[in-house]
Amino acid sequence: MSAITLKINGRDHGPIEVRDDLSMNDFLREVLGMTGTKFGCGAAQCLSCAVIVDDPDGTSATMPTCIAPATSFDGKSIRTVEGHASNGQLTALQEAFIRHFAFQCGYCTAGFLNEAQVLLERLEKQPVAREALEQTILEALDGHLCRCTGYVRYHEAVRGVILAKPDLYLL
Amino acid sequence: MKSNRSRVGLAGLLACATILAASVVAGRSSAESPSQTLSSPERFAGIEDSETRSVALFVEIGNVLTSPRCMNCHSANDRPRQGDSGRLHQPPVFRGPDGRGLPAMRCPICHLAANFDPARMPGNDPWFMAPREMVWEGKTLSQICVQMRDPELNGGKSLADLIHHIGDDKLVGWGWNPGIGRTPTPGTQEQAKALMQAWVDSGAICP
Repeated sequence: MSAITLKINGRDHGPIEVRDDLSMNDFLREVLGMTGTKFGCGAAQCLSCAVIVDDPDGTSATMPTCIAPATSFDGKSIRTVEGHASNGQLTALQEAFIRHFAFQCGYCTAGFLNEAQVLLERLEKQPVAREALEQTILEALDGHLCRCTGYVRYHEAVRGVILAKPDLYLL
Repeated sequence: MKSNRSRVGLAGLLACATILAASVVAGRSSAESPSQTLSSPERFAGIEDSETRSVALFVEIGNVLTSPRCMNCHSANDRPRQGDSGRLHQPPVFRGPDGRGLPAMRCPICHLAANFDPARMPGNDPWFMAPREMVWEGKTLSQICVQMRDPELNGGKSLADLIHHIGDDKLVGWGWNPGIGRTPTPGTQEQAKALMQAWVDSGAICP
């Protein structure tokens, strides 16, 4: 057993005693009851379980939670799908996902949303040329599996958000 | 007639099932057999001709180099492979500019500092692909040897660097401790280092 402390969606959690073999996914879903983060393949192959990890250096990346021990998140700051909307106000990405009917069953949506959010934040810091945008979105979303095959709609939704504010995301 | 055909059919089915079961058992025992060993350099001391001895030493080292634990990251086409079968890595990751993946999917995002066996997740710090200069996939052991030996082809590594890489590198060493579900590299890292040293000492001759 180890005690972990972490920040989730801006709120401090812990110290909480967890088994060393407890996955982060089980920690979120079973210990904290945060079921917005899904459990899909259990092997980091679908990324439906991905959350955002915010590094102290100001960069962020998604990380699958099904293959990582909860203890590896000790001291970290993460964001989950529950943390995107603020006071009931959806983000531009969430609105775009709905507008484009990007998801059907919705099981992969949390992972796609987190990945797209990280992409937007990365582009704010490191904009890309318009010609490189399609490839950039493709590479960002590439690892996420959608069994309803909503890939094109996810891609269109993300592209739409970026093109709505080209001065923010594009060179 | 009909019942005879049924009996033959049933017998055939049973025979197939028996053969299938036998192959499964054979496959399993082969995967778990203790062929995962390496010979020590002393084993080759009896070979008087130094060139022949050197070649024999490298062939023995080849058991390490061609193991899935090494080949999966010395793979071609900028895609690592995984598992004992060497299937393409899922999710679809790519080498990226530094061998550690593309910006959206970096190796250490999943591959943490240590294996996480409850999820069969391999881990080591650091985790990255072998450089393009050291792609081995699709090459014979002889070609791999020529590539390894030549600094022009191996990214500027000396023979001493190669001994250090195989004998001391932490990521290479992970191959002998790959976690559940993956066959370890044959022998031990110490044995592999001793074989590399002996190969270099004997003239580093390629098969």
